[in-house]
Amino acid sequence: MAGAPADALRRVPLFADLSKREVEQVARRFKERRFAAGETVAREGSGGAAFFLIDSGEARVSVGGAERATLQAGDYFGEIALIDEGARTATITASTELVCYGLTLWEFRPLVQENGVVGWKLLQSLAKKLRAAEQV
Amino acid sequence: MRQVVPLVKARDDAIFGSKAVGLGQAAREGLPLPPGVALSGSIVEAVAAGEERAIRKVTKSVLTLSVPLAVRSSAVDEDGAEASFAGQHLTLLNVPSTEGLTAALREVWWSANSDSAITYRQRVGLFHRPSVGVVVQSLLDPESAGVMFTQNPVTGEDERLIEASWGLGEAVVAGLVIPDHYRVARSGEVLERTPGLKKIAIRALPQGGTVEEDVPAELRESLCLDDDRLEELNRLAGRCEQVYGPGRDIEWAFAGGTLYLLQCRAVTTAGA
Repeated sequence: MAGAPADALRRVPLFADLSKREVEQVARRFKERRFAAGETVAREGSGGAAFFLIDSGEARVSVGGAERATLQAGDYFGEIALIDEGARTATITASTELVCYGLTLWEFRPLVQENGVVGWKLLQSLAKKLRAAEQV
Repeated sequence: MRQVVPLVKARDDAIFGSKAVGLGQAAREGLPLPPGVALSGSIVEAVAAGEERAIRKVTKSVLTLSVPLAVRSSAVDEDGAEASFAGQHLTLLNVPSTEGLTAALREVWWSANSDSAITYRQRVGLFHRPSVGVVVQSLLDPESAGVMFTQNPVTGEDERLIEASWGLGEAVVAGLVIPDHYRVARSGEVLERTPGLKKIAIRALPQGGTVEEDVPAELRESLCLDDDRLEELNRLAGRCEQVYGPGRDIEWAFAGGTLYLLQCRAVTTAGA
């Protein structure tokens, strides 16, 4: 099918509260992207082109060279640079072969603008990250 | 418009991109091109999105091409885009089967939507949604290949400047070898032939991708091109100037004894 599998999207908190039809509409906007193990997916300081949802595989998150987290299936990343059109805030490196579904900034913004449910979930997620950053 | 056409029918920059349209013009003028098709930006995006109908249409269109395939990006609807985006948009030289084409097109589409491409777009003031057409051609297995300027871009002299190496021309384009260097007068007289040092040749691998192969010691400093081949290149330069005008930057290859034109564009500062 075109885009991302709707089932994969439903498992993501960002899209969990959408109706079946809404999830299918969102899923169609995604495109698959594969990264080899060791490949840099996003580089801290670079401009950001897409938001990614991990379908399978694992990736490491590092900031300023320090490893911060591991991402796996169902996790997502890349939304911050798309919101403020600023630089990537972390480097993401594929630890294994990584299969993602990506949404470019040209599609991410209208999706959030047109869908308050997704926008609210995104705000919650950003607030959570802000609290976590304040506690570091 | 979701279109796939033989190169000879690629006429609209805004649909197929400037590289495809340039090759289309060459095909219409009877210049010696490897067979190929042009894909519109919108069908490349549909294939990247996994739309079955688009994938079937593209797969069917390349069935007559011999594999392996070369998949080259052709930036759409941006003045000077091919020069501007050189190095940003991907070319995949050896796609071993039509089945591998979908993944290759997806990679090309993502190359135009990558972090580095977007960063570049922000820097040069082209911050809008990119569209990338694609040229799919049969990949040659050349004896020798390289680049040619129809006029010397350094001195401005009215002479052909040719750089050549063994295997695929990407060894020359990417600066991986010291290529042979030739200057040929418009009359055909060879003014200079200086052997390079060609330690490697890029070759296609059966399973896809390319490899840097060691060149046998006796060939490293041997000239790739004899006078007959230089004369053929001189004639090709003349034909390209008739079709496109003076001052052309040409990529070419000799495969199976036949000379092919791979790309012909205006000389730019970057190209020079």
